Amino acid sequence: MTVSSRNNKLGRTFSGRNAAEKRFLTGTISPLVLYLAFWTIFPLLWGIALAFFDYSPRQTGGFLGFGEGNPFVGLLHFQNMLNFTADAPLEVQQFHIGIKVTFLFAILVVPLNLLITLPLAFLIESVNEGVKGIFRTIFFLPVLAPSVGVAIMWGFIFHPQRGLLNALIGAFSGKLVGIAWLRDSSLTVWGIPVALFAIIVAYLWQDMGYNLVIFIAALQGIPQSIKDAARIDGANWWQLFARIIVPLLMPTILLAAILTLISAFQVFDIVQVMTDGGPDDQTQVLLLNIYRYAFRYQKMGWAAAVSIVMFLLVLSISIVQTRFLRSEWEY
Amino acid sequence: MKKIFMLFVLLALLLSACGGAGTPQPSGSEAPETGGEEPAAGENVSIRVWTHQNDSFNAGYQALAEEYMSAHPEVEIVFETFDYDTYIQTLQTALPAKTEADILQMFGSWVCSYAEGGNLAEMPASVISLDDAKAQLLSAPIGGYICDSKLYGVPQEFNIEYGAVLLNTGIAEEVGATNYLDGWASWDEVIEDGKKMAVVQDGVMTRSGLNFTGSDGIATMFHSLYLQYGGQYLTDGVYTVNTPVGVQTLELMKRLVDEGLVDPLLYNDEENWVGDSFFAETSAMGLVGPWAIPEYSGDYAEVAAKTIYQPLPSVGSEPGFAAASGWGLTVSVNSKAQDTAWDFVKFVTLDTSNAVEFNLASGTLPALKENISGTNAEALIAEFPYFEPFLGILEYGQYEGQFPDRDFVWYEVTYPTVLSFLQSNATLEETLQTIESEVQGSFK
Repeated sequence: MTVSSRNNKLGRTFSGRNAAEKRFLTGTISPLVLYLAFWTIFPLLWGIALAFFDYSPRQTGGFLGFGEGNPFVGLLHFQNMLNFTADAPLEVQQFHIGIKVTFLFAILVVPLNLLITLPLAFLIESVNEGVKGIFRTIFFLPVLAPSVGVAIMWGFIFHPQRGLLNALIGAFSGKLVGIAWLRDSSLTVWGIPVALFAIIVAYLWQDMGYNLVIFIAALQGIPQSIKDAARIDGANWWQLFARIIVPLLMPTILLAAILTLISAFQVFDIVQVMTDGGPDDQTQVLLLNIYRYAFRYQKMGWAAAVSIVMFLLVLSISIVQTRFLRSEWEY
Repeated sequence: MKKIFMLFVLLALLLSACGGAGTPQPSGSEAPETGGEEPAAGENVSIRVWTHQNDSFNAGYQALAEEYMSAHPEVEIVFETFDYDTYIQTLQTALPAKTEADILQMFGSWVCSYAEGGNLAEMPASVISLDDAKAQLLSAPIGGYICDSKLYGVPQEFNIEYGAVLLNTGIAEEVGATNYLDGWASWDEVIEDGKKMAVVQDGVMTRSGLNFTGSDGIATMFHSLYLQYGGQYLTDGVYTVNTPVGVQTLELMKRLVDEGLVDPLLYNDEENWVGDSFFAETSAMGLVGPWAIPEYSGDYAEVAAKTIYQPLPSVGSEPGFAAASGWGLTVSVNSKAQDTAWDFVKFVTLDTSNAVEFNLASGTLPALKENISGTNAEALIAEFPYFEPFLGILEYGQYEGQFPDRDFVWYEVTYPTVLSFLQSNATLEETLQTIESEVQGSFK
């Protein structure tokens, strides 16, 4: 879209209208524009600008805090991100860890979420109408719980001395068990930290209700006649699910996968409360890294640069999403 | 119409730019314009003071402000308080926006970062010179207020996290741990008592003998022992711990773990934090500052009744330790009534009886040398008996040092790196090398 065509659109909004209509339009649009300018556009532009300064709120700068004590550094923060040497500053090393942990988290969460929610949605759809609503409500309830509360609850379950998990293992083994699920960096499964798995369990418990509802809605959209036809052709329960339902749900699965991926990239509160990035940075996701450097250590310029990288990552996924979902699916 | 529309957008941007980033409103009073008015002789002046919300601190300030106002009827002292987290954020947004109060309560380790940013006024020599301040105030608390050989405020208290440990005398008596009764002469005696008090069941530690593995405990103990062994970890902006002294320091800390006084996997900042754990009696001894007793005694009166602070032995000739300065008062460079503001600061912090009045009200250790002995010290011990072991060692405290970001050094580098070593996930050499390079890296 060119500048002139945008101007034409704005012009068309106001042209051909009488003064009263124009006043009405101005009166209704202005609050929205002001809101956007105050709370979205200005902070966004300011955040982008910060990434090019060595900005700390503790230093006195010039206009909007830029310059003087907060000097312009150009692309230095981004250059530093590409420093992969062993003597790279701690914030750079932690940025690399943050990228790795965030990808690992997202890559694990998406298939696990789909593997649980899709069959579960199919099962819930299969039961009679009377209890369907009860199951839907029960599985959706964790979505409504605040993340901090969920994290505290799972933190208690994984507590080494007073936790339910160790108590259960202890009940079976007949002796006291004190496994530090969230603190022992030597605990790994296939090279993946157990603490990260523990966070994934808590995250899935809370998050799966969303996809469940999406899949149930999609399942309800599949015509009964298709299922009946498959059954008449002799398809059993598994064949119906794997060969009929899943292919028909592909656009929904894709949508759920991408939404889950974006949401997983933005995980923060559960991690902060359960492990605060530990043990040994094994669960330090990118958003936690940004928070620490921006608000705990006041390196807002660096944190803003990391935020831009994260924004670009999420943006790329969103672009892929729109490309994939552009295809037309029919049944 | 388009012009009007664009005008709105521009206005919005300008307003948001000039709006001070939504500085939270304090509790206490309506916030007047920036700073006070430059007073002519005899003219009324209003001084705004920002502090963090702490009932006992605020009671101490209020009483002294009333005394000051009765002696200076032309001066009005207005307190505006914020809860701790909001206060930090408010300082960070208000100082660049120049909307801060005349007097700002600061923690010593914050002062230089704000002073170097040009936000704080230098102490006028007419109030107190740097040399006199060093002579009157204890080295650790005043250290935080000296930046590039200039003084930017005065501490009111001594923040100490090392030197003595909480000890549950009930548990000690029950298990026959008696070395502490005559004072520990060496770490061997501490270890002997700690081992008796620790409980391990099926290989799981259910009660720690000495819980020192919280973030403040580890970071302060590491730097304090380093000083006691005769080292200096920070000299002229160069941080050095990868030395034989560093090895001795970590070896002693690891010995406490290996001897079974604490399991650092189960006792750390995230699980069984030292204050909670001690008062829940899952730790028999705990390394934490004297603020812990008033904090917990309300909810754990029974445990508090059998709790004492027991001085730790020194591995050196003197019981040296690193300390993080303390809370005190500074004056904004933007204050239009700096003379009056400094006069009030002097009244509150440098007058020995006023200073001890604040310590008594706030339950804090004194920053003035004169108040660690004599009648003022006796008054403090009478009110807070657990202060006694600390008052004797305050003079050996050393300011922990001017780091670009002290919290980064303490909580992002020292704590996780030493904890990982204590958990046997890293070698001693790797640990010292990592701490030294990462802390030094923060100076760049």
